[in-house]
Amino acid sequence: MPVLPAVLLGRAVRLAARVRGGGASAMPGYLALRVEPRFLEKTISRIPLGVVAVSGSNGKSTTTNMLTAIFREHGLKVFTNPSGANLPQGIASAVLSEVSLNGALDADIAILEIDEAYGVKLSGLLKPRTVLLLNIQIDQLNRFYEPDRVAGMLHTIASSASEAVVLNRDDDYLAALGRELYGGTDASISWFGARPELIAAAPHGIASATRFSAGERSAPPEASVTVTALDGPRADLAIGDDTASVTLPSRGLHYAIDAAAAAETARVVLGDRFRPELVTRALASMKTVYGRGELLKTGDGDDVEIIMMKNPASMQMNLDSLEETPEQVFLAIDEGTPDPSWIYDTDFSVLDHADVVSGSKGWQLAVRLGYSDIPVGTVEPDLRKAVQRFLALPRTKSGRKTMIVNYEQMMLIRRLLGYSDLEGRDGE
Amino acid sequence: MSLKLLQLYPAELGINGDGGNTLVLAKRAEWYGLRAERLAHEVGAELPADVDVVLVGTGPVSAQRAVHADLLRIAGALRDLAAAGVPFLAVSGGMQLLGGSVRLPDGEQLEGAGVLPVTTVLGDKRIVGDIIVESQLGTLVGYENHSDTLELTGGVPLGTVKHGRGNDDTGTAEGVRSGHLFGTHLQGPVLAQNPVLADRILELALRRVGDDLPESIDDALSVNDERAARARRVIREKHRV
Ligand SMILES: [Zn+2]
Repeated sequence: MPVLPAVLLGRAVRLAARVRGGGASAMPGYLALRVEPRFLEKTISRIPLGVVAVSGSNGKSTTTNMLTAIFREHGLKVFTNPSGANLPQGIASAVLSEVSLNGALDADIAILEIDEAYGVKLSGLLKPRTVLLLNIQIDQLNRFYEPDRVAGMLHTIASSASEAVVLNRDDDYLAALGRELYGGTDASISWFGARPELIAAAPHGIASATRFSAGERSAPPEASVTVTALDGPRADLAIGDDTASVTLPSRGLHYAIDAAAAAETARVVLGDRFRPELVTRALASMKTVYGRGELLKTGDGDDVEIIMMKNPASMQMNLDSLEETPEQVFLAIDEGTPDPSWIYDTDFSVLDHADVVSGSKGWQLAVRLGYSDIPVGTVEPDLRKAVQRFLALPRTKSGRKTMIVNYEQMMLIRRLLGYSDLEGRDGE
Repeated sequence: MSLKLLQLYPAELGINGDGGNTLVLAKRAEWYGLRAERLAHEVGAELPADVDVVLVGTGPVSAQRAVHADLLRIAGALRDLAAAGVPFLAVSGGMQLLGGSVRLPDGEQLEGAGVLPVTTVLGDKRIVGDIIVESQLGTLVGYENHSDTLELTGGVPLGTVKHGRGNDDTGTAEGVRSGHLFGTHLQGPVLAQNPVLADRILELALRRVGDDLPESIDDALSVNDERAARARRVIREKHRV
């Protein structure tokens, strides 16, 4: 079946949605896949350098952005999915916005962030040449139940790579996954990581899940790209005999490790064409990450800094990367986080108070803070009222108010502050 | 005196905020003008003999296997503590392991520590969602995330399920209580959301040594309990219970 009907239908729906003034959504992609189940195969897998699939618990969007920037700096045309649009329908929607009527995408390479669970299906459809896996952390226990299950999914994704698998050597589960893969795949396996001293110096390490089923722990594999120095948002990456000094999208060891992951993946894919200095140049041109250190403007009031509460690991690393105790703090969490039990694993001691707590699970947050002696000003479950109240507080010395919220509350807050919706969903 | 709160295997069976239960007991003890110490038992270590409360949380099957041999090693000592009237709180995976036996999905049978009067069969179906239970202590609210069918071989259920699933597919009974021993699927953590159960455990620990739960000396206690009440109300209203 030709791909044209799927493209036409998807385009029409996309256009209709635009005309109605709604934001872009996954609906066009969903319909295109209904009309042509092999829509992704027929479009994306025709790209000359094939697909690089990026997955893991945390850092998918950031790393996909970095990798895209690095390939573009090397002069390649890149097709990628917008931040968090990592399910089949989201990727199909992204294809629809760029594909020609005969199903061709004008790109040399596709770099796709894929959801761990959907990755199993997607990797079958997309036949990635290269798979980059970032980490396995305690994440969405209500959905994944346990890290062993996520490891199984990522194993399937890694096994689908025809040319290269790139793995985090400092992640217990991925180190084991790499050992299991040896001999079972024709793809090359290579590693990125950070100097042990840097991991030891991070307040809560790299927060990867512990692999309890571990037998004897072998020595960590040799990494081809290593984070060797970290100073605020600047990091050094040792790439073979070269060193690339890079600027990260925000402070934090996890961003430096994402940069190492992107550099190693680019090195493996590009071979002789790879140039370390282009990594430096690419990362220097990147914007801050959506939902992490992003500053929202509020007219003539303070800027609003948003810190995402997604899972214990990313939440902790985001809190750890705060330079100082935030002056004014807003926290909100809602049904988008079905089971917030893990907030009891989070060390909130960087906060000395919270001004406003909101969301349908705001009272649970307030209880949590109470048990750590962190004073809470107001609990206002109604988000609109809570945001109004928070923004009405006096100006801060730093010119910055801090909001710590889950993804769903962040999207609502962005809208309340007059920011338009972005396509897709940022998974981190 | 200083209350010794012992959490078993926090690294393995503490995957989902389970340390919160220990934190809640320690903090409430402080708010009652008592002193409390948080202790942990790790694989291979000697079990402290002199403890006032034993807590254990939940973890995946791989983590249960990782602690299993050690648990059998200390099982006699744990049964002694239980026989001496020390209150226990065990959540999901920890409750399963403290029971008589756990049958894994692959058919393998793990022997339990024999502290709680339950046996467990782990299935493939995951039960995930809010759970609301009517108990002698009042309405308890939490979040369940497990795949077990729990059969009581003694004691009584902790409560009756008003929303959610609990011990088995009949959706009637949740958890187990046998005197001063408590087992439950409720996470959240359960003691943070349901301070009445936290106080009951503190009371049992104090009575064992001839003390009563004193009046609180810190307003933080009533402030936080009001917050927990509001948190429970939100979940009850969501499910119209
Ligand atoms: Zn319901």
